[in-house]
Amino acid sequence: MFLGFASWLHKTPISLAFQHQVAWLWPACETLHFAGLALLLGVAGMFDLRLLGFMKRVPISVVKEFMPWALVGFSANLLTGMIFVISQPAQYFGNPTWWLKVTFLIIAGLNALIFETAYGRRAAALPAGVDTPVSLKIIAGVSLVSWLGVLWAGRMLPFLGAGVGAGL
Amino acid sequence: MDEFLQKLQDSDFGVWVSSAPTLFAYPTILMLHTVGLALVVGPIAVLSLRLLGVGVRMPVSVFRNVFTIMWWGFLLNAATGVALFISEAAEKGEQLDFYIKLTFIALALIAAMQMKRVIFTNRDDAAVDRQVPRQAKSLAVVSLLLWAGAITAGRLMAYLK
Repeated sequence: MFLGFASWLHKTPISLAFQHQVAWLWPACETLHFAGLALLLGVAGMFDLRLLGFMKRVPISVVKEFMPWALVGFSANLLTGMIFVISQPAQYFGNPTWWLKVTFLIIAGLNALIFETAYGRRAAALPAGVDTPVSLKIIAGVSLVSWLGVLWAGRMLPFLGAGVGAGL
Repeated sequence: MDEFLQKLQDSDFGVWVSSAPTLFAYPTILMLHTVGLALVVGPIAVLSLRLLGVGVRMPVSVFRNVFTIMWWGFLLNAATGVALFISEAAEKGEQLDFYIKLTFIALALIAAMQMKRVIFTNRDDAAVDRQVPRQAKSLAVVSLLLWAGAITAGRLMAYLK
């Protein structure tokens, strides 16, 4: 199903434009993807460390003021990532490691959603200097592991699983 | 020089990195180089954002440890970077872009040390929180630009001859 979608996508005008029109588009997007990764992991990593119990003297709500910048990094990477996939759909849809990356992304996303909806208010109300509850530590751990998983799978996908769906 | 670089690349270690049939050679070293990038640039970027006015309720002194994380990341990337370089020494050693990348990194590290000096040496933490010194703000901008340059030059190493 996905490979049929991949070959259709590959022939769309937007994919063809990405493939042939601008030689610098791919390296430029890669560069932005790496800068976005550093920004996202820097900001989200700091927030996770706070949830784990580091920097206790700073209220969680204060650390959270940096989070829009994690979203900036994530958006940059979502956009550039979509350009990669639209340009070479089979290279990604046909690669199990890419699906693993997507799985880690979904885990990271759901984890953030659980934090926001179920724990956000409680975390914001936690006074400075108090140790964070186990629930928040688990959320932070899941976040760190899943983002590292995204990085690991993203960097490994040219070497691990590439060629499984080749020849499309 | 050419001969030396070729010898490096053809060394047992160089050949192992580039062509050992295991994910723990080139792929994992390259992946760790990306982890190191995040460890170096991420924390410095967050500190730079703070100096430029993001999250002003965050005490700047919280960022004291940022430089320790940065140096650990740098150590990881120096080690993985040397391994990656050895595996392709003949080609990368002749690549102007590689030296441009190293220059960006050297300048960015100098900027980071300057930043540390300006905000943490001989200064009252509370005063920095009230008013970030102008010099620190300039260094934050310079730092972000230099790391962006290092990332760009690093990425282009795969494309330029």
